[in-house]
Amino acid sequence: MSNQVAEQVSKSPLINNSKVKKGSNISISKYISYLFLVILCVIWIVPVVFGITTSFRSQTEVVSSGFRLFPKEWIFENYVTILENTSTAPILRWLVNSLYIASVHTFLVVVVISITGYGYSRMNFKGRDTLFFTLMGISFFPGVVNLIPSYKIIDSLGWVNSAWAMIIPGLAGMGNIFLVRQFMRGIPKDLDESAHVDGAGHFRIYWSIIMPLVRPVLIVCALFSFTGSWNDFLWPVIVFTDVDKMPVTAGLLLLQDIYGNYRMIGQLMGSAILAIIPTLVIFLFAQKYFTQSINLNSGIKG
Amino acid sequence: MKKKMSLAPAFFVGPHIILFLVFILLPTIYGIYASFTKWNLMSDPTWVGLDNYRTILFDSSSTFHTQFTNGLKNTLLFVLFTVPILIVLPLLIAVSLEHKKVKGKGLIQAILYVPGLISISAGALIWLLLFNKQLGFVGNLFNSDVSWPANQPYAWIIIIVITVWGGVGGNLIIYRASISGVAQDLYESASIDGAGPIRRFASITLPSIRFPLIYTFVMTTAGAFNVFGQPLMMTDGGPRQSTHVLMMYIRQLAFGNGESIAGMASAMAVLLGIVILIISALQYYVMNRNAA
Repeated sequence: MSNQVAEQVSKSPLINNSKVKKGSNISISKYISYLFLVILCVIWIVPVVFGITTSFRSQTEVVSSGFRLFPKEWIFENYVTILENTSTAPILRWLVNSLYIASVHTFLVVVVISITGYGYSRMNFKGRDTLFFTLMGISFFPGVVNLIPSYKIIDSLGWVNSAWAMIIPGLAGMGNIFLVRQFMRGIPKDLDESAHVDGAGHFRIYWSIIMPLVRPVLIVCALFSFTGSWNDFLWPVIVFTDVDKMPVTAGLLLLQDIYGNYRMIGQLMGSAILAIIPTLVIFLFAQKYFTQSINLNSGIKG
Repeated sequence: MKKKMSLAPAFFVGPHIILFLVFILLPTIYGIYASFTKWNLMSDPTWVGLDNYRTILFDSSSTFHTQFTNGLKNTLLFVLFTVPILIVLPLLIAVSLEHKKVKGKGLIQAILYVPGLISISAGALIWLLLFNKQLGFVGNLFNSDVSWPANQPYAWIIIIVITVWGGVGGNLIIYRASISGVAQDLYESASIDGAGPIRRFASITLPSIRFPLIYTFVMTTAGAFNVFGQPLMMTDGGPRQSTHVLMMYIRQLAFGNGESIAGMASAMAVLLGIVILIISALQYYVMNRNAA
């Protein structure tokens, strides 16, 4: 195939001045790439900047001055108002709820996936792989089917309007366990065998030999669990009706009624921005883990 | 000693198996069972056989039939509008970022990734203001004086925009990681043979990232079928239910105001699940065969 290409090109009359041509091609494609990327970045970042700056503008300015990216006058009253609202839209309460739910969920995810992953990769018992792949197979079934009964189960456990409704069900998933198991299988067996000889039990080996080695995967899983739990929308909208108990994503759904149909725009934007900040801060500090995660994925798939 | 050895695995995998049984297997089986019943979530379900399915699929005088066909149609439209963009755009970005001369790759990637970390409810509040005819840029820059969420095709446009905005980053990172794994000498020898950038992309890059492509295509499509938050927040299903997707009807029937119609909602959920399964299997089958 490449011979054909070469043949075609060598017949081309342009081949002699290809040097000149090629140089200008590279710079043209470079500028096109740049233009494309810069335009996208502007479109992508304008909403975030606009949301932030609007949260510092007064209602009269927003309404009278039309679309502007930056305020004429920066004010902080919007934030004072939303933080002082503790009844109809208790944003601080919602943020604390979200933080509690996402943190406890993330901690338990790490515990469950590392212990379970250890069991499926470093222990030998009858039917281990059959069991694992059976569970994997079942988990591929579309989740929409178990949505309604899940609510019924949560209700029977008395967890409607409780943080547990968001903390526990997600621990049953198989995706992260698959990832951790895959990673643990890559660790040489002699490590735990020599520890076994020295008299160490499984828990000891799990904790002091395997855990330190799989830390990177666990960090990645933890970050995605945290942001996933923080941003979850459908499930909290279903299991929370109590305004004081709900996480911030479900709370924001109520805001348009509370702050009117854009009667209090600064407050609306301020609330949205407060809900965004935690995941953005995490991304800022752990960016490399977010982008690394895919190397783990592609390692498996490729 | 032997007995102790056999108990240890139960301690390690047992807790998760219990979680799995209670929160995945049991609700899945119950969800399928409930689709054959009349159920209000509170009292015990009564078996009605195939009645729910018959109503949803064939009884054109029933509102459930109208809701299901409208919801499924709108869900399919959403999939058709968003999935191609969510595959092609990240791929184009990833290729542009591969250009040796382009600087600031990390920053560009971070900017495009960040909206993926913003919850739909927060993102929607901001985008709705941007699309507001008096206060946002559509009125002031485009001189548009219609209300976008309340008129077509604008209602679809704003749903697509916020979906693409939030969804590009995830696939972009997968494609970048896979493209950077393609051996450089392949490109170099192709260049020497005179292959242009488009040719190199089609005959080297695309085949080399076949698995990530299949993976992202299947996952993005399955995710799009579950769409709920974007239409709920941006248009609330309007105008005239033209963006009301199936998940919104399912939630409304099972958890809305008034008595729950969870049996009917479960039947719709099972049908949506079957559609997702069939489409995923087809995609996997077709792409894997074509690529081989």
